[in-house]
Amino acid sequence: MDMLESVKMAVKTLTANKMRSTLTMLGIIIGNASVITMVGVGQGAQRYASEQFESLGPNVLFIIPGSDDARSNSFDLPRNLTLEDAEAIANQVPSVEAVAAQLQTQQNVTYRNRTANTLVLGTTPEFTTVRSFDVERGRFFTDSDVQRNTRVAALGSELAEKLFGTANPIGEQIRIRNVSFQVIAVMQEKGAFLGNNQDDTVIIPLTTMSNRVTGNTSPYGTEVTVISATARDEASVNAAQFQISNLLRLRHKVTTQDDFVVRTQKDALTIVGNVTGALTLMLAAIAGISLFVGGIGIMNIMLVSVRERTQEIGLRKAIGASRQDILVQFIIEATILAAIGGVVGTAIGIGGVTLIGATTPLKAGVSTTAVILAVGVSGTIGLFFGVFPARQAAKLDPIVALRSA
Amino acid sequence: MTQPIIRLEDISKIYGSGNTEVRALLDVNLVVEPGEYCAIMGPSGSGKSTAMNVIGCLDRPTSGRYYLDGVDVAGLSDTELAHVRNRKIGFVFQQFHLLPQLTAMENVMLPMVYAGISYNERRQRAEEALTRVGLANRLSNKPTQLSGGQQQRVAIARAIVNRPVMLLADEPTGALDSQTTQEVMAIFAELNTSGITVVMVTHEPDVARLTRRIVWFRDGQVVHSHLAPSELSQTAVFS
Repeated sequence: MDMLESVKMAVKTLTANKMRSTLTMLGIIIGNASVITMVGVGQGAQRYASEQFESLGPNVLFIIPGSDDARSNSFDLPRNLTLEDAEAIANQVPSVEAVAAQLQTQQNVTYRNRTANTLVLGTTPEFTTVRSFDVERGRFFTDSDVQRNTRVAALGSELAEKLFGTANPIGEQIRIRNVSFQVIAVMQEKGAFLGNNQDDTVIIPLTTMSNRVTGNTSPYGTEVTVISATARDEASVNAAQFQISNLLRLRHKVTTQDDFVVRTQKDALTIVGNVTGALTLMLAAIAGISLFVGGIGIMNIMLVSVRERTQEIGLRKAIGASRQDILVQFIIEATILAAIGGVVGTAIGIGGVTLIGATTPLKAGVSTTAVILAVGVSGTIGLFFGVFPARQAAKLDPIVALRSA
Repeated sequence: MTQPIIRLEDISKIYGSGNTEVRALLDVNLVVEPGEYCAIMGPSGSGKSTAMNVIGCLDRPTSGRYYLDGVDVAGLSDTELAHVRNRKIGFVFQQFHLLPQLTAMENVMLPMVYAGISYNERRQRAEEALTRVGLANRLSNKPTQLSGGQQQRVAIARAIVNRPVMLLADEPTGALDSQTTQEVMAIFAELNTSGITVVMVTHEPDVARLTRRIVWFRDGQVVHSHLAPSELSQTAVFS
């Protein structure tokens, strides 16, 4: 019997049991759609995070407090990074162009009767250079503002709109934790960074922040949350990393493990890649399980179908079907179910990924590998899980099969 | 001299072993010549069904030789037996065994699918076979849309469509009323007249009487073989 006849026959049987065929395919459809969607989302997250870090520029370095142990074991990082450290880096590390120390906290910001809970960021004037974040209106604060603890503030564009609407905020007084600040600048729109809205923020001099808002300084000096720096050029990033590390080891009198870490953009990209890669793998594995379960569903239905059709199998054998004919017939039925389920599932998966890509910041995209893998795997699953029931069918004794009522 | 269609030589079929041994057939010798119309009768447990299965190549004898159309089929593999069933034997069953999802036409075409015959020839031959059993106007009906007698006629068309050397019918009228029994038996008689060998297992003496030879089984052995009354009195089956 040739293949075309077998396929025609299988299609006839499957269409005669539409409900059952559809339900069987559902498992494969869901499995396939979820593999493609999950891999798409995972890779989208990966791309999104990578682009965020790439947008910082290749020259950026971050200095974060805490030893490797502290960072992996505790949420409560030591507050041993100071404004003085940042100044030392700026003054003594030749490969560094600009340094901005940052101290941040969440606070209520009030203008007249309007209040917004927002991120308050204390930093130095170099922040605008290091993070390529410029003012839209007014002027950013200067070194002398930092030295004199001036109560001036630059508003993120979104916060400015929240508090002032269309009115001009420059020169107005706002209150941060009951300390009044004069608005001197509104920043350009910057967008979100890793889910943090950088426009819903208020930026003030680091010293003012430290003395008046957070009100605490660490025993080491003026505490900062993170220090950002830029190297002179891309080639000197590694040199800068090395020199900053050495300087801070000296300043912190480190003898064993570093109590800080210097990360380059490349480091950050690697870490993000590892994390999101693991995430993608996990999502794919979960989706893969549902694909596998779909395969078991096919096997289950095919086994039921063999039981149900013992008479048909017996008859076919009596009129001349060989074991192989029966085997091929059942395998083809299973494979067709899996293949159609695979194609429909892929279509739904592609639809899902496109929808997620269009409605969320995740740069979700259809991965060709995922599609090939999902379709290939579902086809194989049909074949694999179809073989066992098909063998059961082929083994049936025609006499017994014909007698069974 | 022509080859017998069936030649059973000392055929035995034994199920189980030791104390539970069941001797379904014991040294059966039987010859059926081409063109015969033969009924196998006997009480239940007499071995007639087992004999039928052996003759139909659905089951292998434990010992003995079975020549079907001159070929020793005892030593054939499963696949070869499937081929023999496909080409040399046409089966008719008590319960018709038509596939419900297929039309009459498609049911009749099925054996030719396994024989690897082209679609056009399959259509043509199936139509001829269905016309021969008087169902030319029921080609595209599904089994559920046909009466019992019509379903059995579709099954007969399916049995003859591959031009087998013999028709093997297992209680073909067991599920039919007396009126349709007569119709179906008339078809068998007509097919036999046209030269097809027919072997039929039945327990209905009225049915057996319409054949030309009756073979009696008892306790796994052929105990008696004689011409049917119709042959003796020379009355036509079509009366």
